[in-house]
Amino acid sequence: MKKILLLFVAALVSTVCFGQAKKPTIMVVPSDAWCSKNGYMTVYESQGVRQSIPDYKKALQENPDLLLVISKMGEIMADRGFPLKDLGAVLRSIENNAAEESVTMSKETGDVIAESPLDKLKKSARADIIMQLTWTVNKTGPKNSITFNIQGLDAYTDKQIAAASGTGEPSFSAEVPLLLEESVIAHMDNFAGQLQSHFDDLFENGREITLSCRRWSGSDVDFETEFDGEELGFLIEDWLAANTVQGRFSTVDATENMMLFEQVRIPMVAPNGRAVDARYWANGLRRELESKYGIDAKLTVRGLGEAIITIGGK
Amino acid sequence: MRKFLLFLTIVLLSPAVVMAQQHKQKTKKADAETVEWKYELAPVAVGAQGNVIVKVWSYSANPNVAAEQAKKNAVHGVIFKGVPSAANIPGKKPLVTNPETESSHADYFNDFFAQGGDYMRFVTLSGSGEQDVSKVDRRRYKVGVVVVVSYDNLRKELERAGVVKGLNSGF
Repeated sequence: MKKILLLFVAALVSTVCFGQAKKPTIMVVPSDAWCSKNGYMTVYESQGVRQSIPDYKKALQENPDLLLVISKMGEIMADRGFPLKDLGAVLRSIENNAAEESVTMSKETGDVIAESPLDKLKKSARADIIMQLTWTVNKTGPKNSITFNIQGLDAYTDKQIAAASGTGEPSFSAEVPLLLEESVIAHMDNFAGQLQSHFDDLFENGREITLSCRRWSGSDVDFETEFDGEELGFLIEDWLAANTVQGRFSTVDATENMMLFEQVRIPMVAPNGRAVDARYWANGLRRELESKYGIDAKLTVRGLGEAIITIGGK
Repeated sequence: MRKFLLFLTIVLLSPAVVMAQQHKQKTKKADAETVEWKYELAPVAVGAQGNVIVKVWSYSANPNVAAEQAKKNAVHGVIFKGVPSAANIPGKKPLVTNPETESSHADYFNDFFAQGGDYMRFVTLSGSGEQDVSKVDRRRYKVGVVVVVSYDNLRKELERAGVVKGLNSGF
């Protein structure tokens, strides 16, 4: 009897702890067009090519209107139970972590923290959904109006999943911050409505991810190597067909060295009640390759939505 | 003397009783017409955060009754039809997007839209409640009233009642 009770409690706890999908993070970021127009770009030279990238830190420090819009959007989203990642706080946290890690060393050996070039590259302001923000102030004689545009971009599929835009009522007397606030209020409900439709689609048809399979140059196995009379590439496609929602995925590219799968629809929650992301799901493929075909593979991810499997070693 | 007093009381009270009865009948008739949800909505202004300001045109034989029914129509419109966009005012999609929700939650909505029901918590007349009255035909008036619908609170109420899902549900 005790055992049954214990089992029941364990099942209940696991359902409460898990059973929910992973919540995507959302962050508001000014668009490149807005940064460029307002002079918040940094130009640098990379291998002889001049490139400009947005300087978010400068924009946040110098433009109070941007802060106002970001905080208003954050307020509305928090009211809907979806607090936003704050761009300013993320940038500060990256700086603080970098400063802390640069002086952290082992007490016994004096070793510094291990960091690969890839780790360094990944330390950027990221979120699963980027709310890209653009506005322009239009002046017609003494009247001001605001053209406002918010785009919700899925950071891993690069798809626009929600958007709201329009030009507000021209006004003689209202100041720009007031017009901006009005624009946010006017557009956020429609934006949130489209975001809701996107989330409904995720729960119905699965989360859309990208899976990339590669091969280390020294590996003996490639995607054309045969196992039991079938090429590895087709065996991977069979695994995908069996482990995606309604077998939905598309093979964008396949050679002996790489395979790229897009629109891979993975379940939001595993049968054991655990929330699924690209890493958890792709680990199933990594284990299958190892146990069934004896292929070592390295699994890396980019956020919730992109998995990379490199065969032929860790 | 007693008979005279009784007669006088009846004479004095009867018009009030008749008028009350007539008003009740008109309201009942208007309620019946409201259930058919014949109305038109148009945005008036963006409004404060969490609110929607709309002008709603309702139809009735009595302009005063129509004005009262306008509140109910406005809430119904925001829930099921959405607000169309105007020149510089973006529209709003309906809070309920599934067309079957109204019938699947019929009990909830019957109570919600009943006379004096919960819908009243989410709507107020704007300003002094001025009416825009025009006669449609011999018996019916078209009455336009500007009302403020508490959009965010209405959405939260529908989420609480399980009629619609919240943005974070499932996560």
